Amino acid sequence: MKFLKFEQSKRTVFLLILLLINAVPAFCYPEEQGVSAAELLREIAIVVTIIAIAVLIVVEFFLKNKIARGSYKWALFLGLFMLPVIAMVGSTTTLMHETTTVESCASCHIMEPFVNDLRNEESPTLAARHFKNKWIAENQCYHCHTSYGIHGTAEAKRDGFRHWLMYVTDTWPEPITFKGSYPNQNCTTCHGSTKKFQTVNSHIALREKLMNNEVSCSSCHGPAHPTPLERGNPIQPVEPSDNQEDELVWHQHDVENSYEVYNYVKTLGTEKILGIEQTSSVSP
Amino acid sequence: MKNEETDSFEGLSRRDFLRLASLGSGMVFLGGCGDIRELWQRQPVIAVDSWHKGVCRFCGTGCGMQIGLHEGKVVDVRGDKYAHNRGRLCIKGVMNRDILYAPDRALYPMIRNNGKLVTASWDDAMSLVAERFKDAIETYGSDSVGYFGSGQLFTEESYTASKLFKAGIRTNNVDGNPRLCMASPAYAYTGIFGLDEPMGCYDDMDHANCFLITGSNTAECHPILWERIQDRIRSRPETPIIVVDPRHTRTARDADLHLQIIPGTDVALYNSLMYEVVRRGAADEEMLAKFVTFKQGDENKDFEAFREHLSNYSPEKVAAVCGISAESIREAAYLFISSGATMTIWTMGLNQQVQGVASNQLIIALHLLTGNIGRPGATCFSLTGQPNAGGGVRDTGALSHSLPNGRKILVPEHRREMEKLWNVPEGTIKPTPGYHAVEMFKAMESGELKCALIMATNPGQSMPNTTRYRAAMEKAFLVVADAFHPTNTTIFADVVLPTSMWAEKGGVFSNSERRYHHVPKLVEAPGEARSDLNILVDFADRLGLGHILPARTPEAVWEEWRNISQYSYYNFKGITYERMKKERGLLWPCPTEDHPGTCRRYVPGEDPMAKGNDRLDFYGRPDGRAIIFIHNQQGPPEPPTDDYPFILTTGRVLEHWHTDTITGRLEELERVPVDFVEVHPADAQRLNLRQDMPVMVRSNRGGDVFRVRIVEKTREGMLFTTFHSMKRIINHATTDAYDPISKQPAYKYCAVAIEPVSTTKPAADEVS
Repeated sequence: MKFLKFEQSKRTVFLLILLLINAVPAFCYPEEQGVSAAELLREIAIVVTIIAIAVLIVVEFFLKNKIARGSYKWALFLGLFMLPVIAMVGSTTTLMHETTTVESCASCHIMEPFVNDLRNEESPTLAARHFKNKWIAENQCYHCHTSYGIHGTAEAKRDGFRHWLMYVTDTWPEPITFKGSYPNQNCTTCHGSTKKFQTVNSHIALREKLMNNEVSCSSCHGPAHPTPLERGNPIQPVEPSDNQEDELVWHQHDVENSYEVYNYVKTLGTEKILGIEQTSSVSP
Repeated sequence: MKNEETDSFEGLSRRDFLRLASLGSGMVFLGGCGDIRELWQRQPVIAVDSWHKGVCRFCGTGCGMQIGLHEGKVVDVRGDKYAHNRGRLCIKGVMNRDILYAPDRALYPMIRNNGKLVTASWDDAMSLVAERFKDAIETYGSDSVGYFGSGQLFTEESYTASKLFKAGIRTNNVDGNPRLCMASPAYAYTGIFGLDEPMGCYDDMDHANCFLITGSNTAECHPILWERIQDRIRSRPETPIIVVDPRHTRTARDADLHLQIIPGTDVALYNSLMYEVVRRGAADEEMLAKFVTFKQGDENKDFEAFREHLSNYSPEKVAAVCGISAESIREAAYLFISSGATMTIWTMGLNQQVQGVASNQLIIALHLLTGNIGRPGATCFSLTGQPNAGGGVRDTGALSHSLPNGRKILVPEHRREMEKLWNVPEGTIKPTPGYHAVEMFKAMESGELKCALIMATNPGQSMPNTTRYRAAMEKAFLVVADAFHPTNTTIFADVVLPTSMWAEKGGVFSNSERRYHHVPKLVEAPGEARSDLNILVDFADRLGLGHILPARTPEAVWEEWRNISQYSYYNFKGITYERMKKERGLLWPCPTEDHPGTCRRYVPGEDPMAKGNDRLDFYGRPDGRAIIFIHNQQGPPEPPTDDYPFILTTGRVLEHWHTDTITGRLEELERVPVDFVEVHPADAQRLNLRQDMPVMVRSNRGGDVFRVRIVEKTREGMLFTTFHSMKRIINHATTDAYDPISKQPAYKYCAVAIEPVSTTKPAADEVS
């Protein structure tokens, strides 16, 4: 392994070449027009991780006694610090990017009703309309659930991490609801500057209240997603949770009632069908 | 020392500076992330201690809401996701959080003394009221007193007032603002089906394949229902909306077909639509054979006579009458017929005409004729304007011609039934109807009505031809119970009684779709304000009629009322307070406590009152058949003349409600102007009117000054303004001509002149 004995400047050149080679697979998809930074970094992270592991194994188990002490240190520096740093940057970017996609949100089963609704052409919810009309081109969940600026991103990641934590520990309350006050700025960033928005009297009247999030845009234009009753299966009523009390008054009876209605209508149907059968059998 | 000095920066070492700078930027970042509590849960902007289920105070949509309390005050409201409105509220709904704390709440009883209202104790005020009523009854008979109520009182209150006056005081002078609002549909339904209230429900909006919206600016007046209609369009974009309105409203803007008819020509148009139905052979044979009969007035007719009548209403003829094209009439009829399930929605545009009942009945006839009835999405559905005009006033019979649950004063058996149910001697209820709204104020004018109790309404602004009836109100001994003072009515009062409102008292509201739902008492009323029920009970006691009202709390009154309903087709015995507190209201009929309520009436299998297993059962009629009434188009009550060349029609804007007693006092809503008059650009040019110019809008009865708004919304020769403004009262100009059947005034049509005024003249009776 002669290259480990190269001059320092040559080593640097070698590392640069190595990095560039790493990037090659990213360009190997002829059908795709270019590649995003996130995808590039993902490829780099994967390759660099493999190289780092290989370098460490080879150096530690095969070359430790064959090479000079200085070269050994350099090799460890490369395997234990340089390459992991590159891998970490790549993987973090990948993770940050991946968690902005609708697929990522859909990967938790609890989100299924929301994502199904989003993709439902016939759904009238705000989310579905923004999706099907391509008002938001991609990463639709993330787009509306992240405020602008570094704080918005940090908050979204914080909430996302918390949600993930609750999901994997099975500690979420059902039905899930949006807590707190939805930041209207997420809506007004796109809509606020349009004439259509500005000339609406209700918007003029509620200007301060909308700016302070004291009234949510979804108060009038919602619901953004299917309501708990629309999400739920009437045959398996969702159980209320104590945690819900600070968000909404829960009435279990309501769901039971919808179940009752469902059963009642079913019985009606059968009776009616039976009735018709009876009459039809009697009449010629 | 020297080295240290060169290394430091304004007293800080480089290291300290860097440390502080990074700490500072870190803190700025973390600070921007907000509340530390948000690490485990996002926090709302408005802190709320507890949430309670309730219903909006405003229109007849009856949106469910969650009411948030903090330290004994209402601080926030949110749409109830479990209610029919799916969590939505309009701006008025949102503003419920502020209405209780708006300025000018009436806090103490007041008695007029030397022409001025002065604060008095409840005892003094109520003693005076009782004394004056007693005097009038003893001297001039029981018909010298009256009650003018409101579709904004709780059911318990309207029911109690009606019972006290009809069975206690023994006068049928019980009427109220629902006469100005929903009398025409009430008469139309009763005439056709034998029972009041629509047969459909909001759920039909989710199934309709075509909407005919006539005489309703749904987008502004029932915005949450409009959103539900829009939801249907979003799910099924090919669903057409046909709008019939003389004005290009926000609703018409989003319509697929807008028939911008000349005001007051509805009867001709609907006849023409039916002409097209028959011409295309789209009349439902089964309906004709089994479920409908024909009538003209009291005279029985048959389908041939009906067809003969329709022959006068070909689209070509009607096009000239309505001022629209024959093609558009044909197209509208085709869309209506071909959809498979058409839902018609209407409100004040039809009701407030001299042919209000006729227009209502023809719309229902269109549905009966095409069989667009009793199926999901196929229904005719009137919208109400008040939170409790249906259940509170129409169902309780708190009108001068009616008794509870669709009974009529004129029918002796109905009177006997009610006397028995109310436990009063036979013959207690007088056999003749009392004064309806307009007549009641005329009786004040003539001096026949000596004393009147007005509750939760503002006739000093909402009556047509207001100038005349304001003078009339000054003649009578007027007791006004309202949550606000001054209003355009309290300024004429001899006694003002402060009342609690909305969540300051508990009770039942009912919305357009027969849904009875509960508003809980959550907070205390300001000052000495009391609930209207409390006032009525006190009043009864002081008149020595306490025994008429054994039920004295909302719960007790409801208990009495739901039990009485079981002896009628309105049966809602199964709607208990407990159920209403748990559920988001229930639609009657609902005879038992395990019944889930009825979405579509007259449908066997769905409506517990309907018998048999046929397609429909109009059980309100002795023969089980609904009636298609034959009506002919009449001329306008007040055609434009050279002196009064414009047709004036009135309406609303989304952000305000009724006479602005509440919404006009909210800072946010004051930003939305209401005292404007819409003028067609051609008219504006001809009269040399400029945008925002003050103009007098005047009929031969009177008028007021409004700001010109030049828009291509109205037809040429037509003006539009709202009746909201407390300061500019358009009802000085409107006509008190009314529908001969329903006695509902024709607010939507009067002849006016418009002329510039040099400076803004102060309104005649400006509320000070």
